[in-house]
Amino acid sequence: MNEKDSKNLEFATIFANASISHSKSKDHIVQSSTFRLILSFINLYALISIALFFLVKGNLVGGVNTNFIEQGGFLYVLNARAIILLLLLIFLNLSAYYNYGFKYACLVLIVYMLNSAIDNAVLFSGFMHLTDRPYLSAFTITRPLFIISLFWIMIIHKYKFKSD
Amino acid sequence: MYRGIELTIIFWVAMSISYAFCFSAFYAYATLPEHLLDPNNTAKIKATLKLSTIRLVIVSLALIAYPIILLKYFKYAKYVTVALTFWATSIYIDDYFVLMGIVEYPDSGLISLVQSSRPIIILSLIWMSFELTFRSQTEV
Repeated sequence: MNEKDSKNLEFATIFANASISHSKSKDHIVQSSTFRLILSFINLYALISIALFFLVKGNLVGGVNTNFIEQGGFLYVLNARAIILLLLLIFLNLSAYYNYGFKYACLVLIVYMLNSAIDNAVLFSGFMHLTDRPYLSAFTITRPLFIISLFWIMIIHKYKFKSD
Repeated sequence: MYRGIELTIIFWVAMSISYAFCFSAFYAYATLPEHLLDPNNTAKIKATLKLSTIRLVIVSLALIAYPIILLKYFKYAKYVTVALTFWATSIYIDDYFVLMGIVEYPDSGLISLVQSSRPIIILSLIWMSFELTFRSQTEV
């Protein structure tokens, strides 16, 4: 066997092994299409609400009076909540990707959303009327939908491998 | 049918601490000094008392439901414990970092004591969550 042939054989062996290890790493669980659809909805909903808040806060939306969010410390609260929501969303996506602790990540996000909804209802219900700011009220009204989606995705998530 | 639950003594101690803390919080808010309930009181204290009342209602529901879940639906106890742990942690973070300019706890001796012992209940709940989660993983 000449040198070229031996090198080819070497590469073929390496590539073959790589292909096997690649297919092994591909041995991940395939979640249902409903799961992927709901996860996409959760990500979109959270990202749009965070983006909307930062657009309103930065005075980047024309014709919107932003003075109201500076009343009674509301701006600071919304700012902190937006950052915490973003962090929890990253945690949820990481746990979905690595398939580890996903149900707990969902549970944590559900508790966080419920707690912030209660806090907002108790502390800021005085000056937050639903009809005044429809762009923010839309997210307040549809929050139960977000929480139901989280419950649903938590129930339909599969931990175990297909081969198990 | 109920079968004996094999949990460590530390779990039961942590659970007792959590219950003791919740009952002391109930007692502290039920025996608030008269001057704190004055309508001319600051808006911050009024908002805090309003928020605390709602939180205590949720706590009382959890105190009733938790032993039932632990004894009858043990499979779901870890999820309930993790949810309660995160709730206790999130309201602690909320009070000290998010709502710090909006809520203000009254300067009553017992309420100050309850507030300062909040990290203890969080630690107790964290231990309970760890034990329930890893116990069920090793059992499978």
